[in-house]
Amino acid sequence: MTFGGIDLGSTTGKAVVIIDDKIILGDIVMATPKPAVTARMAMDAALKNAGIASLQSLDYIVSTGYGRLKVEFANENISEISCHAKGAFHLMPSVRTIIDIGGQDCKAIALNDKGGTLGFEMNERCAAGTGRFFQVMAKVLGCGLEGIGAAANISPTAANISNQCSVFAESEIITLVNNDVPLPDVITGINKSVASRVSSLARRAGVAEDVVISGGCYNNEGLISALGQCLGVEIMKLPLNPQFMGALGAAVFAKEKAAAKTAAK
Amino acid sequence: MAENQPLVLEKFSRIAGSLANPSVAAFKGQGGKVVGYFCAFIPEELFIAAGLLPFRMRGTGSENTERADEYFTSWNCSFPRHCFNQALLGKFDFLDGLVVGSGCDAMRYIYDNWKQSPLKTPFLHLLNSPHVSGKAMAGYYKDELARLKSALEGRFGGKVTDQKLWDAITLCNETRALQQSIYDLRKSPTPPISGSEMVAVMVAGASLPKEEYNADLKALLAELKQRPAAGKYPARLMLVGSCGDDASMCGIVEELGAVVVTDHTCFGGRMKYKGVAQTGGDPLEAIANYQIIERPFCAKMGGAHALRAGAIIAAARDFKVDGIIGQRLGCCDAWGGEFFMLRDELKDAGIPLLVIEKEYISDSEGQLATRVQAFIETVRR
Repeated sequence: MTFGGIDLGSTTGKAVVIIDDKIILGDIVMATPKPAVTARMAMDAALKNAGIASLQSLDYIVSTGYGRLKVEFANENISEISCHAKGAFHLMPSVRTIIDIGGQDCKAIALNDKGGTLGFEMNERCAAGTGRFFQVMAKVLGCGLEGIGAAANISPTAANISNQCSVFAESEIITLVNNDVPLPDVITGINKSVASRVSSLARRAGVAEDVVISGGCYNNEGLISALGQCLGVEIMKLPLNPQFMGALGAAVFAKEKAAAKTAAK
Repeated sequence: MAENQPLVLEKFSRIAGSLANPSVAAFKGQGGKVVGYFCAFIPEELFIAAGLLPFRMRGTGSENTERADEYFTSWNCSFPRHCFNQALLGKFDFLDGLVVGSGCDAMRYIYDNWKQSPLKTPFLHLLNSPHVSGKAMAGYYKDELARLKSALEGRFGGKVTDQKLWDAITLCNETRALQQSIYDLRKSPTPPISGSEMVAVMVAGASLPKEEYNADLKALLAELKQRPAAGKYPARLMLVGSCGDDASMCGIVEELGAVVVTDHTCFGGRMKYKGVAQTGGDPLEAIANYQIIERPFCAKMGGAHALRAGAIIAAARDFKVDGIIGQRLGCCDAWGGEFFMLRDELKDAGIPLLVIEKEYISDSEGQLATRVQAFIETVRR
């Protein structure tokens, strides 16, 4: 049997197909102004990679992410908090803390040894500690997101970014650039600032090892390194692209839901 | 649950969805005077005994705080801000008087701002309230109530006798008992009334003459007992926090298929708590004891946490809730501190808690819905 999971996030759309026990990832699709269109593009990519000709071949589909209600072809929707937990635990049952740093939000989820959610914390209406913060800073620095991600090594002379607010931090960074502070120092300062913010959130949810990162910001090695230092733990790597954790969790839920419905008949 | 909506609920929804209402207009048409009041600890009994119609202040219908922002500091929460904005827009021009309590500083500033604004409400009174529970403070509050009583007599005429006060206490106790009876129906596995509908019931109670409201509640009770049962819900939740006159959080929960079966909010569960003891003697002392010692107060009251936490946990168990959503208005330190303490106490009691910071006018509904949905998925049966 085949199952689909789709994570329609604020910045990107991702889909996963599960054929029996085999996991097939789609592509990262940039969000379009129409969520329904993004959803179809993301799912079509996963279907193509799985060699499935038609959406109708999927037995059950679960949607998640901010656009989860806009996925017309989904059988049901489940919150991204539950889906990130489900996906990460499915791949790595030793996971007890998931930190999802997405395009416009950030969440920390604490799990028990059965994969159940013990608690979660999510950022409040603010871009601090999210991918959007990095987008704004990359624009100011003129280095692109790739430039921030490439500065993986922590500079020992990192600049101190004291503002958590994106708007004020932007002004602070402009000052640093104008004062000829070297780019690696500024980037490391940004990563440390975001790591500090995210680690507070994670501590509120409760941090226990193993700790993994999901969401698009996993690409930023400097951030992951700074976050590990803040939390005093080694951040483990998920065996599949962490940006697909929400979609994978949705697909695993789809499989479980379909099985439960079959059993109920 | 909107199907088969009893007629009384339709009326309550209309009353709760607006500020001035036909019953207020009718009361005024007969020469009656309407006095607004802000917090649950300001006793309606005193106004009723003075022949006045008490009207609980709220910011219903407010779209922004453009006018009020001129008066309030940035750390003032959004509830008084929206209420005051509505006042500046003329939405409370029907008031003949206003009583503001010094419950918390955020609310207290309404008094100062009202005085300094162009608003010309004929009677404006600041009711000082204790910030700590206990017998000594109930005595102080009794004196403050006596001061308010004299002020009302001086402004609106007529003597507020002890007998009139006891009669008002009887009337308001009947209201509380009837409200409790409706709450009790929600203990059923298939509650006949949703959390959103219950918000309208409670808000209407603070906007109508009590005799009319009590008659409506009796009719509602009869109608609810005949209402077809809704299906079972995946999760039964309780709402805890400030205000509670805005049904948006219940709406989010209930859109997601769960149901709010009880609450500990300022317009809701805390308003109908038991009743003023009718033991004879000084009625103001009985009211002060009820407000300052017996009734679980808003989180701003020091020395009352144990009473509050006990009432919350007892209600959670009584109504068999699967979890509690704590809602705190941005900048409200009182509830921020309360949830900090409740977090561990509820954990020990085995009751899951989700704390959400929100604004009076619901914003970021998508974000809120994500958290509420995840919470429901975590606690669902």
